[in-house]
Formats: sequence, structure tokens, C-alpha cells
Amino acid sequence: MTVNRYDAIVIGAGHNGLVTAAYLGRAGRKVLVLERREVVGGAAVTEQVFPGFKFDTAAHRIGGLHPSVIKDLALERHGLELRRADPSVFAPAKDGPPLVVWRDPQRTVESLRAISPADAKAWIPFSELIGKAATVVQSAWSSTPPSMTGNDPRDLWAVLKLGAGLRRLGKKDMIEVVRILSMSMSELLGEWFESDVVKGTLAASGVAGMMQGPMAAGTVYNFLHHHVGAADGALRPTVRVRGGVGELTKALAAAAAEAGAEIRTNQPVARVTVKAGRAIGVVLSSGEEFVSNRIVSNADPRSTFFDLVGPAELEPELVRKVKNIRFKGVSAKVHLALGELPRFDGVPEGGPHLNGVISIGPSLEYLERAYDDAKYGAPSRHPYLEVSIPSVSDPDLAGPGKHVMSVVVQYVPYRLAEGEWGAAARERLGDAVLSTLSEYAPGIESAVLHRQVLTPLDLEETFGLPEGNSYHGEHTLDQLIFMRPVPGQARYRTSIDGLYLCGAGTHPGGGVTGYPGYNAAREIVGDGKG
Amino acid sequence: MTAANRYDAIVIGGGHNGLVNAAYLARAGKRVVVLEKRHVLGGAAVTEEIFAGFKYSVCSYVVSLLRPEIIRDLDLPRHGLEILPLESTFTPLPDNDYLVRWADHDQTRRELYRHSPRDADAYDDFGKLMYQLAVAVRPILSMIPPDPTSMSPKDLIGFAKLAGHFRGLGEEQFHALFKLMTMSSADYLDEWFETEALKATMSASGIIGTFLGPRSPGTAYVLLHHYMGEIDGAMRAWGFARGGTGEVSESIARAARSFGAEIRMEAGVEQVIVKNGTAVGVALENGDELRAPVVVSALDPKRTFLQLVEDKDLPDDFVSAIKRFKIRGSSGKVNLALGELPNFTSLPGEGPHLRGAMSISPSVDYLERAYDDAKYGAFSKRPYMDIILPSMIDPGMAPPGKHVMSIFVQYAPSDLEGGWDETKREAFGDAVIDTLAQHAPNLPGAILHRQVLTPWDIDRDMGLTDGNIFHGELTLHQLFSMRPVAGWADFTTPVRNYFQCGSGTHPGGGITGASGRLAALKILGEQP
Repeated sequence: MTVNRYDAIVIGAGHNGLVTAAYLGRAGRKVLVLERREVVGGAAVTEQVFPGFKFDTAAHRIGGLHPSVIKDLALERHGLELRRADPSVFAPAKDGPPLVVWRDPQRTVESLRAISPADAKAWIPFSELIGKAATVVQSAWSSTPPSMTGNDPRDLWAVLKLGAGLRRLGKKDMIEVVRILSMSMSELLGEWFESDVVKGTLAASGVAGMMQGPMAAGTVYNFLHHHVGAADGALRPTVRVRGGVGELTKALAAAAAEAGAEIRTNQPVARVTVKAGRAIGVVLSSGEEFVSNRIVSNADPRSTFFDLVGPAELEPELVRKVKNIRFKGVSAKVHLALGELPRFDGVPEGGPHLNGVISIGPSLEYLERAYDDAKYGAPSRHPYLEVSIPSVSDPDLAGPGKHVMSVVVQYVPYRLAEGEWGAAARERLGDAVLSTLSEYAPGIESAVLHRQVLTPLDLEETFGLPEGNSYHGEHTLDQLIFMRPVPGQARYRTSIDGLYLCGAGTHPGGGVTGYPGYNAAREIVGDGKG
Repeated sequence: MTAANRYDAIVIGGGHNGLVNAAYLARAGKRVVVLEKRHVLGGAAVTEEIFAGFKYSVCSYVVSLLRPEIIRDLDLPRHGLEILPLESTFTPLPDNDYLVRWADHDQTRRELYRHSPRDADAYDDFGKLMYQLAVAVRPILSMIPPDPTSMSPKDLIGFAKLAGHFRGLGEEQFHALFKLMTMSSADYLDEWFETEALKATMSASGIIGTFLGPRSPGTAYVLLHHYMGEIDGAMRAWGFARGGTGEVSESIARAARSFGAEIRMEAGVEQVIVKNGTAVGVALENGDELRAPVVVSALDPKRTFLQLVEDKDLPDDFVSAIKRFKIRGSSGKVNLALGELPNFTSLPGEGPHLRGAMSISPSVDYLERAYDDAKYGAFSKRPYMDIILPSMIDPGMAPPGKHVMSIFVQYAPSDLEGGWDETKREAFGDAVIDTLAQHAPNLPGAILHRQVLTPWDIDRDMGLTDGNIFHGELTLHQLFSMRPVAGWADFTTPVRNYFQCGSGTHPGGGITGASGRLAALKILGEQP
């Protein structure tokens, strides 16, 4: 019976799964993509949560999208329009002028003079260092992680290539990049800047998505992660998609379809069929079966191994390793349909300051204390907020004069010390966020027409993000590169023959970048049809 | 300049590393003088009779990983070194329970079983893995780090050998080691154990001397130290020195003198004399000058480079790098003379648990909260403590029937909000006693004398900048080839004939003597 036979089945139409499907299609494979939800996009979706109001319900901006993906898949032809916001960040301070990060670094330097002349002087040199370091990080992103202990010459070559990327920087820069790679944001920023608002605003990017404060080692790596692909050495760039982030995944779906991939929504996969250690197909919740020698999961590693495959098919050592993957959900989302544009203190009338994100995290101490609350199992009393009002530059997202506001709230732990993430806790979280926002945008509460709060549990259930962690696994140094998702299985293949992973749970990790999907496709194509 | 003030080598600082350095140089036939500022030798490894009849190991209180080759090369046992084992770690818990880990693995297993059978089994596996990794890492302690900034064949080969060494470990060990180097001790131990007090006590070793908490990444690798000590066990490298840690320094000093080294006390050095980029000698605080073609500083990098030499004699970017070098102090010490033994409510009476270490670390959250206080510029209200009663191990430390108690405390941040002074020092001491009294209520009444040392005191009295006990934080970017500065991790300095041999160099930290020895080998042109 060959009716339901495909060359490859991709489980999950997140952006990485769609990238993989498109490239497999282009390589001549007959691909089926099975998406659980009624929409494609995974955590890169735009949904009309309230009539007339479109929200990026999970990710509300994108990262350093793989340039080849944009080009090879002709995404612009398929409707993709990327937009870099100017300014990229508006960050209110506790006392004193706000930090505004403009696209033109000189303009940022000018505005910094009112905050701290020393910081104004340090801004561009710092951004140059970050640019160089991010380039080194990026050079590792396009490769499949080498096995660090094997004798395969290709692995040695990969390691040497990485070293070469470093050495190209020149001796002084090379040492400096290696030196800062393992540092904490607090240490690094302490060497460069003095003002609270600059340090807090930059540090926020280093702790984004991590259950760590800015004093933790490894936060510089995460900061660099978020700066891969930042054009012109920009700091905290804000790149959005016209029409919402979902337009990117729609364009990816169109490209995949054009390459011959079949995409079916409302098709939750219940199980990967494994026979004698080989993956041979999938079974849907409905019972329908599909057959293929190449099963590619865009789901997170834990769900893939434990739910789709099942521990019975796995070696005890792998079960232990997968159990030890740390997710540590740390954020929640609040979506507000607004009847008018909120007035943030420090924003001149009619100014463009709300084009980018509004970063509420006015000092390192603010962030560290917010982390402390969550560390002990409670949502932060004074959370870090990344606020995006995309309707400012994209009015079609809301009605005339109205706006949509998307807030990423950090630190909100998945595991609470007391109670659970039920309706009451959800509402309390929403209230706390509004209360914090009111401190910076007085009167905002009266502008709220509708509100949606997605707790870490909601994020997990809606988007398949384990524990609400956006990255399918924390971005700590021990869970990256050749350790991601688990040591020994960090090259997109799994110990189940024919079963692959292509999502954020693989190298290089999370964010809307497309690198995991791209790399996975390369490996799958290289392995042949099986 | 009399001939009496001309030497082959001058060592600045009579801490244990300086003494080891001098001993090795003297053993090789060099005419060496050690110049110590204080009236007593040892730096932070010192025993002082602060209160008549009671000997305090004023700062460091255990010998950790004193290199077996040093014990052997300098014949330290013949010069009086006797290390007595610390047989246990006792953790009192609320609700009158406790947890004890014994040097004897089986005894520990039985005790753990009482708390969690699963942990008892896991402890065995954990120990096996740690032992293997400790064996793998140990050679690094005896290496002169290769220079990442040089393209010389020697350094490239050094890195290649190092890489080869790690790749040869095999996948499982390599990955385990990588996790250890990058994870927090809390996360790492969460993978193995469920007993909170066990995890807390084990992760406590990962925070000692750091400005980090058990949940901070980078604290897991210190878990290896305990097991490295086990390997060195044959040479008794881990434990309490008879006569206090000062006796470690004294035995090294005796060895040095036996090779002909001269040691001068109350001979503080004001400045290294530099002519045309070359060190030619030192000027003492009293104005005397000594000359030597080799000058070695055993002091921390800040004092070595920012006090003893002038900025103009150092490259600008080197000075910036040293200024940036993180050396925050985070610990304090309380030394007590006691009229009677502490009586722990969790395990009353005099028992074997009083002959080992006592750890106030009932849970990871307890440690983390102690750390939180320090993050914001306060000393911990409920601090972590690592306590020993030296007189239980070595009766000579106190008069009969009486005792000395050595309490290592975290956290006491060097950059305390508003700065340290006598009042705050005493408040810190009170917080320590108050916390301890929760576990042993008879303690306050038993105190005959108390000495409190904050980072401020340790800086002023012992000469450790900002009171950091390791001469610089042991974070990844300040280790090995980066310690203290990339390009200068091989014990040389940008000033010709000026060398560094203290804990601010590889391997850093603890009473190991490793830096002193490696620096001596470098100076002598020998291979480690």
C-alpha cells in the first residue's frame, strides 16, 4: 500500500519545519508537512485575537534570518517584507532622559550625551566589538556541530574553520571575543558603560528567554545570539514583518508548496512509528497513518522523544539525557487591543519613538531583582517588559486610530512555588503588567479595549513550547552547539534511524532565524532517501 | 649596596606560593631572599595566637590539594608538615534532622539512604564519574598554560596537546566535563540527587571564594576539587594541618631555609626597581634597596602590577586588563575561642561529627538567598558557613577542655554599601553568631574571644586586594591561559626579569603551591 508514502514527513509547520520542507522539496523530495493547529507558523504567527485586531501571539519580531533562506526560497516574491524599526528601542530611565536606540548610531550617540558623555563615547566602539563577536558566533551557526571526540576529519575541519573565523579577527580582537564569550552581561557592561538605563537596556537582550539574571555567566553569549545578523553592528535591532510575523511563515509555506511540499493543518501527529530501531512513519490522533523513511520533527526534543516516540523505544541513557534538558520557561505574553496610542513619558508629541520596542528594564539591578522573584517561584513584582506596538508603522493591524500592543513579560516562572497557572493567576499577571505599564505610560489602562494574557502554561499548550520556554531548551552554554539538544545527538539526527530534529531545540537554538531548519535539511538531503 | 643585599632572586611576599617559589629556586642553587611585610609568615595561610593559649588559623583553615610533587620535592613531612584528615561534613537541618557525609564512602551511603535510597545509589555513580573526571583534569593543574596570543609552535603544540588530551577522554567524559565547566552547581546536582541538604552542601564548595550563588553558571566545576583531593589522598593533600595552616607555610619555609633561602620578616616592599624595562631589584618601605636579576611577586595581580611598579613601565592595554581583572572579595572569617564545645540541637553532644567540617547549608535556596544579599551590597543576614573545630583534630590548638572554632563565612561583599568599618564588622560578626546559635544555642555563652575578619580586614592585614581569597575570581574568563591576563599567564610579566607566582596565576586558588612551583620552573627554564 503506497498511498500515504512520502520521501519525508515534517511534523510541525513552525518556521524551521517549513524551511526544512521547502529545501527538501527543492531537492526533489516528496514532502508532507503535518501541523497540529489550524494555522501554520508555530510560534511565528499572527492571529486576529479580537475582531479587527491582529496580534503576533508568540514571537513579535524576528532574529537574524538566514540570508540564504530569504534568497533561495524567494521569500520576497512570496510576500515577505522585512522592516527595521527606527528607533529600534525606546527605554525609559528611572531618573533622567530615556535611552533611544536609533538606526543611525551617530544619532544614538548624540542622544546619549544627555545621559552620560562617557557612555556616548563608548557606544560605537562597544557596538563594533559586539558586531565582531556576533560574526564569530554566526560563523558557527551555519555548520552542523562537530563531534568533539571523534576522529572524523570533517569534524576537525569544522573545528578548524571555527578557529579560522576567530583568527581572521586579528590577535587583539580574537582574544577579546574569546574573553567575553563566557562572561556575564553585568561584568561586560560594567567595563564599558556607567549609566543604569544603558546597562539595563542592553542587559535585557542578554537575559531574554533565560532564567538567569544579568549577573550570570553565559548571558553575553545569549546577547550575541540575539545580535547575529544585526545589520551594521546595530545594538538591539528591531526587525518586524509587514503584516505581522505570520506573514513570514505564510511566505515560507508558499515557498514550500511551490517546491512541491504538501502542507496539512489540523492534523495532530500522535506517534512516530518505530520498527526495529528505525522510524518508518507517523500516526495521527485520528488514526490515519503515513509512511516515510525520513521523519523530521519540528517539535521540541522532549515532546519528540517522549511523546511521539515514547521512552520504550529509547535507550535508558538517552531517556536520562532528554529528561535533563532544561527548559525553564521564563516569560509570558500580554496582548492589548487599544483604543488609542498610549502616551509614554519622555516621548515627544508625534515623535517616532514608539516605532520599535519599548524596553522596561531601567537598570541591571531592576533585572536582577526581577529574576530573583522568579528564581523562588513567583512572577516578578516588577517584571522586565518588551513592548511592541506594530500598528504604529503598520496600521492595517488594527482599526483606524486603534492599536495592538504585544508585551513579552519576563520573569514569569512556569513552576510556581505556590498555586498554579489557572484563571486567577492569569488575571493577576495581566493586572500586574498593566500596573507596571501605567508607571511608564500613565492612563494606558483606560485605553484598553480587550486584553489577552498567555501564561507560560498557555504558551506551552498553545504553541507547543515546553514549560513556555521560547527556545525549545534554555540557551545556557551547556545546552548549545555540540550539546544541543543532548550531547552525542547534536547533528539533527537521532539514535532512531530516519528520525531527525529540525527545530529550535537543535543548533544553533531559538529565535526566528531559520538556521536549524536549514542545517537539518542539508543533513537530511545528504543522507539520501533511505 | 653591600654584597649582603645582592641576591640571585628576590621573592616579594611570604605567602605559601612565595615560599614554595623560593624553596624551588634555592634548591636549584640560587641565592634567594623572601621579603615578608608582616611579622609572621604565610600570607593567608597563617596561624596566630590572637588570644592567649588559642591558635587561630586566621584565614585559610584547610589545606586543599597541596601538590604531592611539592610535598615530595621539598620533603615537607620532614620539615614538620602533618596533614590530618577531615573525616566528615555535618549539615544541621531544621526540624532537628541532619545530614553527614563521611570520608568513608560506605558510611556516607548508609547515611544518605536514610534520606533518600535513590540518592544513596546515585552517590556511588556520581563519585565514580567525578573520580574519572578529576583524573582527567588533574594534569592541567601542573601545566604552564600555552599562550593563545602567540603563534609560536610551542604554544600551538601546547593547545593541540591539550585538545588531544580532552578529545581522548571519550564522549561521555568529555561531555560531562563540559557540563561541569559551564553549569551551575545547583543545576548539575539536580540531575543526580533529590536531597536538598545534600545538594546544598555539595554545591556550597562551588561558591567558596566566588561572587556567585549555587544557581550561577560556572559553579559546578569546583565539585571536582573534592575528588581531586581523593586522588592525592595517598600523599594526604587534603585536610587540616597540625598546628594550623600556618604550619604548612612554616614547613615550606623550613624547607626553603634548608636549601639556603633567606627569609626576612617586617620587610615590606615599597617598589620594584625598574631600569629600561627590566627589574633589577626592590626598594623596601624602610628605604633599603636589594638587587637581583630575578624579582618575583607572590602578591595578587593588582598589587603586583598597580602598586609595585609604575604604569609607565607597563603597556597601556596591560594596565587596563589588570584594572579590569575581577577580584571582588565575598567572604569573611570569624575565629572563636570557646570555653566548651558547641552543642548542635540536631545532633547533640560530642561526637565524631565535631571532628570534621560543619556546614550551614540546609538548602540551595538558603545559599541563594545568602548570595542575593551580597548582590545588592549587604552581608548575608543568614550566611553560609564552613566550620571546623581545629582543637578537636589537633588538641594543641587550644588549652585542655577549651576549643577554637574557625568559621568561614559567605557572603561578605568587599564593596559593602557604604563601606566597611568597625561597627559593620561587629554587626557582621553578630549575624554569624546569631545564625550559628539557631543550630547550637549554647554557642554565644561559650565564646571567650572572637576575631572577625571582613574583606576590608583581609585586604589591610593580609595584603589580599579586596579580600578575595584566591587573588582573583575563578571565573572561566579568568582561568588558565587568561589568568591573570591573556598573553601573560606563563608567570612572566611585561617587565623583563619580573615574574608572578601567586594565586593570581594558573591554577589559582587554595593552598596548592602550584603557582609557586610552576613559576619557579619557568624561571629556571625547566619543564613542569
